[in-house]
Amino acid sequence: MSDSRAPAAQAPALRAALARTWGETVALFAHVPFGVSLLAIWAVLTLIGVIVEQGRDPSYYAGAYAPPLARLILRLDIENIYHSPAYIGVLGLIICSMAAATFTKVIPRRIPRLNPVKIDAIPLHARLRVAGDPDAVRARLAAFFSSRGWQVRKRAFGGTEWTFADKSNWARRGVLVAHVGFVLIAVGTTIYWATGYSGQFAVLSGQTATIPQNGTKVALERFAYRIDPVRTKAGIVYQPIDYVSDAKVTARDGVTRDAVIRVNHPYDANGTLIYQSTYGFAIDFRVTHDGVPVPGPDHPLKEGEGFVVDGTTRAIQYQRFVGTIDRATGMPGADPRPNDPGVIVVAFDGDRPIGQALLPLGVPVDLGAGYKLEAARYVLYSGFQYRYDPGIPVVGIGAFVLLAGLCVSLYFVPARLFIIVRESGAGTSEVGVAATTVKGYDVFEDRFREIVEALRRDAPSVPHANEAAPAPVLGAV
Amino acid sequence: MDPTRELIDQVLLKTAIAAYATGALVLFAYFLTRNGLYRKIGAPLAILGCAAQLVELGTRWWMTGIWPLTNLYGSLSLFSALGVAIFVIFALRYDLWLVGGPVVAVSAIALAYGTTWNEGYMPAVPALQSYWIKIHVPIVISAYASFMVAFCVSLIYLMKAYGETRFAARRGAVRGIAATAGGPPVDLTLSASTYAATPALGSARIDTPATSQAAAAGDALAQWLEGLPSLARLDVMQYRVIAIGLPLLSLGIITGAMWAKEAWGAYWQWDPKETAALVSWIVYAGYMHLHTRPEWRGVKTAWISVLGFATIVFCYLGVNIWISGLHSYKM
Repeated sequence: MSDSRAPAAQAPALRAALARTWGETVALFAHVPFGVSLLAIWAVLTLIGVIVEQGRDPSYYAGAYAPPLARLILRLDIENIYHSPAYIGVLGLIICSMAAATFTKVIPRRIPRLNPVKIDAIPLHARLRVAGDPDAVRARLAAFFSSRGWQVRKRAFGGTEWTFADKSNWARRGVLVAHVGFVLIAVGTTIYWATGYSGQFAVLSGQTATIPQNGTKVALERFAYRIDPVRTKAGIVYQPIDYVSDAKVTARDGVTRDAVIRVNHPYDANGTLIYQSTYGFAIDFRVTHDGVPVPGPDHPLKEGEGFVVDGTTRAIQYQRFVGTIDRATGMPGADPRPNDPGVIVVAFDGDRPIGQALLPLGVPVDLGAGYKLEAARYVLYSGFQYRYDPGIPVVGIGAFVLLAGLCVSLYFVPARLFIIVRESGAGTSEVGVAATTVKGYDVFEDRFREIVEALRRDAPSVPHANEAAPAPVLGAV
Repeated sequence: MDPTRELIDQVLLKTAIAAYATGALVLFAYFLTRNGLYRKIGAPLAILGCAAQLVELGTRWWMTGIWPLTNLYGSLSLFSALGVAIFVIFALRYDLWLVGGPVVAVSAIALAYGTTWNEGYMPAVPALQSYWIKIHVPIVISAYASFMVAFCVSLIYLMKAYGETRFAARRGAVRGIAATAGGPPVDLTLSASTYAATPALGSARIDTPATSQAAAAGDALAQWLEGLPSLARLDVMQYRVIAIGLPLLSLGIITGAMWAKEAWGAYWQWDPKETAALVSWIVYAGYMHLHTRPEWRGVKTAWISVLGFATIVFCYLGVNIWISGLHSYKM
């Protein structure tokens, strides 16, 4: 019996302990400096991602950084920081912090209770003596504030009647709206992670590529570019002006349509957007041995691709296309257009680079041992990106909700005036007025001074000298 | 462009630089001496420089048909013009001409540096050939310019705050926020502020009678500090300028994302420029959050404003010049 009772007796204490821990955790997460600390960590991680190049091969970091630093980058996922557990974890904590602050502070405080205050204890306060008995003065004050767009309410506390005037009370929801926007952005991003996809592909002129996720076919009929020489103060610069792909796209609905795809003008294939992203010159390489063709690459190579020379340990990698070879120097010229084209190739023996050369197009070069290599012709190819992102509308709405929340919370200051009127003899009343805002007192000081000045003007027959306390004034400029 | 048009361009540019350089010196003199004559000379010079710059950018566009904000020269030029414009608006509205010296000086430096990137009139690369460039870039530059003005206000705030702390310390009792939090109200009626603020209730002012007393005793530095706007006013001005900049930066990031979706296929690519802008946004969002806290409002938020502008400089110039990415257009 005692064994079975002990846990039952401990349960309330355990529940109380859990509730206390939960309460303390929520209070911690709702604490503004804690949330800002998380923002600071987020900023630092993001900054690291700006400084350390992302998504490169491990060998890049080994070459670019001192060994201990390179190891640190790779072990801490800094090379892919935006998708690292630490980064996503911080974002998760920020959302938790926002949720805690929203539910424990923002929402409960959106409609603050009407309570009496000690007028003199509030920094923004003033006292005025005005003509009239308290009831008449209260009525005048209510009319005064109502006519200026203040929401006026009256409450009695312990036999004393208080007047409360609120302005822009609705703007107390600004922070809530901004937080909702942030959450919507996170939801939209999650929708993409869960259901969207993206990728890239390159297609040679006259060939067809297929998007693997949805079977959309893109047949490139022609790719064209325009590069203009422009005279600048530093000399001639060859400025890209236009890239355009003429294609036929067969989307999921099976219908083939003509598509002109250029930068800033993506093509919408049943919800999957296809973007012009890059272009290049694929090269048809030919290899001969003692004048006899030997098997080489079975397709034109793009920059970075290579092949093994048949029957040897040597490999050739196509590094980059040179539009114009400067005949005077034999070096690549500045003009990227294919006037007198060539290619830069790198030769490897096994994995070891053994040299590079600039090959004019159509001119065979001797590789030794009877082998000759020729870059026979170039074929333009077009590089595309594609993306299916059903989360975009949610992200877009979230972004504008966030912006709206920011504008509401920054440009509208919800303010409350506490007004008490007391009999002060000789047919006059003393008006005590104090103001609070959600943004502190200084930001409302000018406005409060204007209100008090307007009250003075509106309260006839009692000279200023009778005021019990001066209206607040900002420091002299 | 023909030589006549080139000449017009150069005249406008040199007018702007000369007006800024002179205006900055004169407004610095106003900052130091509070002689109203300097303000009367410096303010028109700042406005002249701003107008000359805006006209220069407009004529560039009109004469060449090329949107002038496709390179670093154009954007720095707009940055300095908008920085001065925002300052002038705030100065007219809130009588804040004291900030003019640093603002116009930064604008002059930005414009002078921008001219080193002025390569002439180059058509835009395909990625920049979009109507978005006429929306996104001016919004982002306006945000940068707002933060520059806020930075200058923060510097003056810090100068005054530390000056006052020094006089208070010299008097033997620091009566600032930290020292008096929770204690009895501090009588501020001798200082520039005239209402009895209890620091614990959330005032940004740490004005102390010590500075006033030192000023009354003839201390020149104290007299100069007394002439500056109150810390509360400077804090409110700094907050208001950042309240202009933060929504603009948010809108700039949003319009940039919309453009990126159209040009690159994704609204967010984790490009260095995007992420550096995000860092700045986070810093200023942190500023706004902490500014709601009485114990943080004041010197600490002023330092956050300074840090925020450092991230803006990194995002604007550092990323453009030193880090390659999708925003690395030929400048």
